[in-house]
Amino acid sequence: MDREQLRRLASALRSGIRGIRATPIIFTLSVSSMAAGLLLVGTYLLVVQNMQQVLVRFGNELRIVAFLKPNAEPSPSVVVELRSRFEAFDGVSRVQFVDSNQALERLRSDLGREAGILEGLEANPLPASFEITLAAGTRSASTIEPLAARIAQSEEIDDVRWGEDWVNGYSRLLRAVVWLGAALGAFLMLVLCTVVAGTVRLALYARTDEIQIQRLVGASGLFVRLPFYLEGALQGAVAAAVAVGLLYGLFQLGLPILGDLLAFLLGNSAPSFFGAPQIALLFLIGVGLGVGGSVLSLIRLEETR
Amino acid sequence: MIQMYHVDMRYPGETYGLRDVSLSVERGEFVFLTGPSGAGKTTLLRLLFGAEHPSRGQIIVAGRNVSRLSSASIPELRRQIGVIFQDFKLLPERTVFENVCITLEIAGLPRRELRARTWSMLRRLGLGDRLDNRPRALSGGEQQRVAIARALVNDPPLLLADEPTGNLDPDLAFDIMDIIADAHARGTTVIVATHDPSLLERYPHRRLVLESGRLILDRRPDTFSNAPPQTARRLS
Repeated sequence: MDREQLRRLASALRSGIRGIRATPIIFTLSVSSMAAGLLLVGTYLLVVQNMQQVLVRFGNELRIVAFLKPNAEPSPSVVVELRSRFEAFDGVSRVQFVDSNQALERLRSDLGREAGILEGLEANPLPASFEITLAAGTRSASTIEPLAARIAQSEEIDDVRWGEDWVNGYSRLLRAVVWLGAALGAFLMLVLCTVVAGTVRLALYARTDEIQIQRLVGASGLFVRLPFYLEGALQGAVAAAVAVGLLYGLFQLGLPILGDLLAFLLGNSAPSFFGAPQIALLFLIGVGLGVGGSVLSLIRLEETR
Repeated sequence: MIQMYHVDMRYPGETYGLRDVSLSVERGEFVFLTGPSGAGKTTLLRLLFGAEHPSRGQIIVAGRNVSRLSSASIPELRRQIGVIFQDFKLLPERTVFENVCITLEIAGLPRRELRARTWSMLRRLGLGDRLDNRPRALSGGEQQRVAIARALVNDPPLLLADEPTGNLDPDLAFDIMDIIADAHARGTTVIVATHDPSLLERYPHRRLVLESGRLILDRRPDTFSNAPPQTARRLS
């Protein structure tokens, strides 16, 4: 790009700023409609983010339990050998041995005040087991099932449990969240893009004379379009800032009001607001929408002489 | 500077803006384009600066074949042409200075040169004390002078004026024509579309007469004194 082109670029940018100052109502209208849309997108992203955190936490608790044959407390060498064998399987992140006494203690602890019912036992009926924690990428039925089958092949193992129904439900929920997010996101983007295109077209009509004169004195298509792209990008950024600010305000206001409901939905996880990457994403979406809407509404301008 | 060969401008519904027009204008010439309303004067000017595309024929302007220019090449052509309209086409929210310097901004001139040339042009046209005024604060004649300044500030080799005095009273009209004549004297090729007989009488330049889209008369100044109009070269 030579100096003359740079000067034209600077001039086009100045023209964009002049345009914004000349049509403040249209600018405010665009920013408001975009901010409303981005607030919706942001709210959805915030819900999904917190849901995913809950799901990740549930996922972390997913494990395969391999019960050893009853009444056969394994020797330390067998425990070491089995642990090494299971740890070598793909998708396994951690293997923990629980002997029958530890299992009984856990049961007693889980029963709490009802633990008295265990007093009448003559012998410990619980078998020793291995609790196999899964790596993050292998928490679906299709990957757990063959793994459980391999573990069950060991002759020391009597039974393998891995909560098939729960895992399937967990996978379905995760998929539903992702697909719903994609569909809703695409729909919202389309609506927002149309809204922005509409408001840019308003700005275009408001500046028809200016564009006509620019064309007349030899402005290139890019020179005419650039101010609108700049305006779209600025609208998107301002709208994103407004949406993030409003969302943060609503989040802080809503926390005490919805405390019980959130505790029920999220369990022990405290609801969290966006971090820097998510805020940057919202800004990117805003700027992208602004520029995209401008491009959409300026397509026909290109065809005119 | 300009050559047109068998140019037709046909609109939907088989109406013609121009029919089989061929003409040539030399560099540095001053030409009046005249004829009744609807004769095709504005259409011809619009074809010259690429606002319309001819239905047939070839148009050469400053060495460029306008009929074959792509949309992307039109701006380059327009930077070589100054255009003036009857309704001035000024931006009401910009100052006189800003209205004029828009041409130089688009040409990509450095700010300092842009300011100097705009100021100098406005002073030349007697608008040195009107730089910060908005167009609505100016008289019709002053507004047209701003439009002329915008058209000439880039020193274009060709100036096209479409009824530049149509909205002005006779004294102001002559004032505007004197400015255009001055630009011609400085070497600019000028084409003025008008149907004002007083201008044709006062400024003895070549006249191209259009009627119903056809060029019916091409009358050069050397025929004015020794031949009445009806004996001038009549074109079929």
